Amino acid sequence: MKHFDLKKAIESIIFISRQPVTVDKLAQVFPNTEKTDIRNCLTELVKEWGDLGRGFHLARISDGYQFRTCAEQSEHISNFNKKVKRFRLSKAALEVIAIIAYKQPITRLEVESIRGVDSSGIINALLEKRIIEIKGRKEVIGKPFIYGTTKEFLEVFGLIGLGDLPTLKEIEDISKNLEPRIPTAYED
Amino acid sequence: MSKPTQLLEYSQKSEPCLIKVQLFEGPLDFLLHLIKKNEIDINDIPVAAITEQYIDYLELMKEMNLEIAGGYLVIAADLSLIKSKMLLPKPIIEENEIDPRSDLVKRLIQYQIYKDAASDLVNRHILGRDVFKREADESDPLMEEVEIGRVDLWGLIEAFRDFYKRRSYVWAEGIVYEAEHIKIEDKMQEVLEELGRRQILSLKEFLMECSSKLDLVITFLSLLELIRMQTIHIVQQLPDSSILVRYLGES
Repeated sequence: MKHFDLKKAIESIIFISRQPVTVDKLAQVFPNTEKTDIRNCLTELVKEWGDLGRGFHLARISDGYQFRTCAEQSEHISNFNKKVKRFRLSKAALEVIAIIAYKQPITRLEVESIRGVDSSGIINALLEKRIIEIKGRKEVIGKPFIYGTTKEFLEVFGLIGLGDLPTLKEIEDISKNLEPRIPTAYED
Repeated sequence: MSKPTQLLEYSQKSEPCLIKVQLFEGPLDFLLHLIKKNEIDINDIPVAAITEQYIDYLELMKEMNLEIAGGYLVIAADLSLIKSKMLLPKPIIEENEIDPRSDLVKRLIQYQIYKDAASDLVNRHILGRDVFKREADESDPLMEEVEIGRVDLWGLIEAFRDFYKRRSYVWAEGIVYEAEHIKIEDKMQEVLEELGRRQILSLKEFLMECSSKLDLVITFLSLLELIRMQTIHIVQQLPDSSILVRYLGES
């Protein structure tokens, strides 16, 4: 009985929240409940909303849970609400994000040596957008900042964690199949 | 070798004389483009031909008065060096001879992988493009209650820098200002008194009240000190909404 109520309570909390709701946060709201029970409810909710096949579903994002619309609805939503915040990232910005996501923590110079071009403007823009953040300084001459991705990065790209990203090896294999004209020169 | 004129295309839009140039994300991106366009095996790049095309493109950029990023010139130099190394006669053919192109090829392949990783990212269901979450509405009374995001030091410094740049204090040359004596301790007290009355205030409100650069800096420093002491909290409701200062009480 208690379990059933808990599920509805959790569901309603996630419904009104704009940020992904974490298990820890829920544990604070229900101090007398085991975290395992909360997790079980969340797993059931994700499955139930998914099975319903509605216009939105419960998604596991970063370290929390959030209701999100399904991708098929994007056009209708944009037509309905012209003011919705649009995603705007240039190709160059995406390259920098990819490099930082896979090589973090990484300095600006290291990003630039991979891209072969100055990337300071993009890095600053991404810092402002909070997709990346300064994680500290590297213990080398000049003590440059080192950058890494943020929770917002996971939220924007719908990831639970960095482990969700395909490995570079997988990406390499896929692109090998797509572009047989570029054979690989070396193996790890 | 034809000039890469196909890089130019007239925009469909109505703006007069608007020319869209297919610019590359950098020299490596451009090299990859040349390799693909010419259907070259990346492990056997005809350096002389590619270098020629590459330099043609730089010339085109120059003609169009485009600023050529330094990185392009570095790669041009690399290419020329490789080209000359390959032209040198090889007296003895060694077993483990290193191909002068190998470093560049490694970089190109590595870069290609990250480019693919980037396109993998862009194909995901992206928040704000493919999928949406519940949006915050300015007039929503829930706004005040909803858990608000943390602000890191960078966000705070960025806000301060923005403010510092926008606020123009008149500093005339040659005028000696009477030295101001503002102590951080006093400022902290002031901040706390203000917060004691109103609980929550925007960072802007604090900075607006400052009468001089020194005052601005001292105010900022005292806020940092209070954060360190965990007497106040810096929060932000949305990534681009204003940064708020909240009183936590003496602890």
